[in-house]
Amino acid sequence: MSLPAWWQLDVCRPVKIGPRELPGRIWTASGCFAYGLHAHGFAAADLPSPYAGLGAVVTKTVTPQPRSGNPMPRLVELRAGAINSIGLENVGFEVFLAEVLPELQARGVPTVVSLAATRPPEFGEMAARLHAAAAGMNHWHGVELNLSCPNVAEGGHDFGSDPGAVAACVAAARQHLPDRALLAKLTPNTARIAPLAAAARAAGCDAVAAINTVVGLDVDVVTGRPVLPRRFGGYSGPAIQPIALAKVDEIVREANVPVVGIGGIETAADALKFFALGCVAVQVGTAQMRDPFAAARVAAALRRPGAGGCWRR
Amino acid sequence: MGFLDAACREPRAWDLTGKVLANQPISGGLWRLDLALPHEVPCAPGQFAMLHPYERTQLVFRRPYSILAAQDATMSFLYRVVGRGSSLLAGLSQGEPVACLAPLGRPFPAPDAQTPAVLLLAGGVGLPPLHAWLERYGRPGDLPCFGGRDGGDVPWPLLPPPWHVAVERLSGVPSDREVFQGLVTDLALRQLAAAAAREYLVLACGPMPLLRAAAALAAARGWPCLVSVEEHMGCGYGVCKGCVVPLRDPASPAGWRNVNTCTDGPVFAAGDLDWDRFGSRQGGGAS
Repeated sequence: MSLPAWWQLDVCRPVKIGPRELPGRIWTASGCFAYGLHAHGFAAADLPSPYAGLGAVVTKTVTPQPRSGNPMPRLVELRAGAINSIGLENVGFEVFLAEVLPELQARGVPTVVSLAATRPPEFGEMAARLHAAAAGMNHWHGVELNLSCPNVAEGGHDFGSDPGAVAACVAAARQHLPDRALLAKLTPNTARIAPLAAAARAAGCDAVAAINTVVGLDVDVVTGRPVLPRRFGGYSGPAIQPIALAKVDEIVREANVPVVGIGGIETAADALKFFALGCVAVQVGTAQMRDPFAAARVAAALRRPGAGGCWRR
Repeated sequence: MGFLDAACREPRAWDLTGKVLANQPISGGLWRLDLALPHEVPCAPGQFAMLHPYERTQLVFRRPYSILAAQDATMSFLYRVVGRGSSLLAGLSQGEPVACLAPLGRPFPAPDAQTPAVLLLAGGVGLPPLHAWLERYGRPGDLPCFGGRDGGDVPWPLLPPPWHVAVERLSGVPSDREVFQGLVTDLALRQLAAAAAREYLVLACGPMPLLRAAAALAAARGWPCLVSVEEHMGCGYGVCKGCVVPLRDPASPAGWRNVNTCTDGPVFAAGDLDWDRFGSRQGGGAS
């Protein structure tokens, strides 16, 4: 029997994703820690900073133009997770490039920039601008493509559920990102996720991030109507972890691509489940909203047990 | 918004584990929680904390509660039991731990020599920011008014004179307390008619109809008005974008933009809010 990959994986070491080495394997997930600038100056008894030991902050998705997002309410807590329909509210790519990214660089925050667009060439244009403007920024490590966005050119279906569209977006970004990590964040809202991962890999991405939120809906029993004005939202949190683990397992076994695992991770034990399946890194999402120190605490807990200061089987 | 920008440019909050000192009803519907924190946390009236009684169960989000008082290492809150989070909070006994992220949000400003007399309009659990403001900054001539549904909805021990109290129904009002029957804004109008000052700064915190009425009262007289907005929150520190409110912004193409209640507020100049865009939304968030 061959040993699983994680047997030899020291989960506290830096991680190489394509051409870049990131300082750690515990990241914060896109949309769950904004642009990574809101928790500076936060303190806790057990940690010096919410950024301690983080491998990367994946920033809130930015789009070519600013977006004001969806109507309220946009975020609903359920028993074991939350449904959101924020609607990609963001400052827009120009403001992000001029103001946000330089601030992250100045503060030394390891950064992966999440991008979304409605046409594949826009991913390429944003990647090219990033490459030109941020070339000297050593804390900017890469780009994560948020493909859960309507593909305007192809009738409004999400890019993320069509392997051809995934490949087109990845290829467009890849040609302008020779020296940064390129990740594609994949949706679980599809019968088979491995073909999407394989398409992303074939088009040149260095890793895939899985999973994005699960489509969900909640009903207000007083009104009898869906709670979210747009009916559906993205379900996240502890409840989706088994779904995430199943999707990650499918990718690891069927597509030859490194995986960054996401889905209900709150503790070191949660993270180890993803590492055990072969993930090279993980992202902490919804838990980061409850606790600005969540990802840093996972990283600290993983460093604790081993003799060398690091967790190891 | 200049003074607000200056108030909290660099966020500074502590993630602490507090222990319950006292947790009991203070009126028919309102509870008071006193938390012992490991150390003093400097905060200003209008700021809030995100609380989570994490050893009871794991909630997906913490809950926001306005800070009623902060003295040495004790932080106090006033809350109404309305949902899962506040029910858990009400079940806590002395000594039990509570995760506390505080202080958060932009506060009501301190008065300066130019600040006119202050009219405070508080409704229900909107009392803490204004109670804290009056305790710290109150001056002779300030006019504090509280409104509740009935006598059981009023935290009487917190509202000795100079607080004036309005109730919509007289049931449950102690026999030794003088109250106004009606809305808190009508109470304020009656008090203003008898008051010496001719100009006020209006500070308001409470349900949306109260905030609208406070803003209208101030606007009709050309008085400045600051309101503290109550909105469901996910994170409380600016990252989830689940608590946005519409702000007028002539510089943006649409003429307005969303801002976070938690980090851009909860205190806003009433004239900056785009009141028409609030609509009749309800629900959502964490209760």
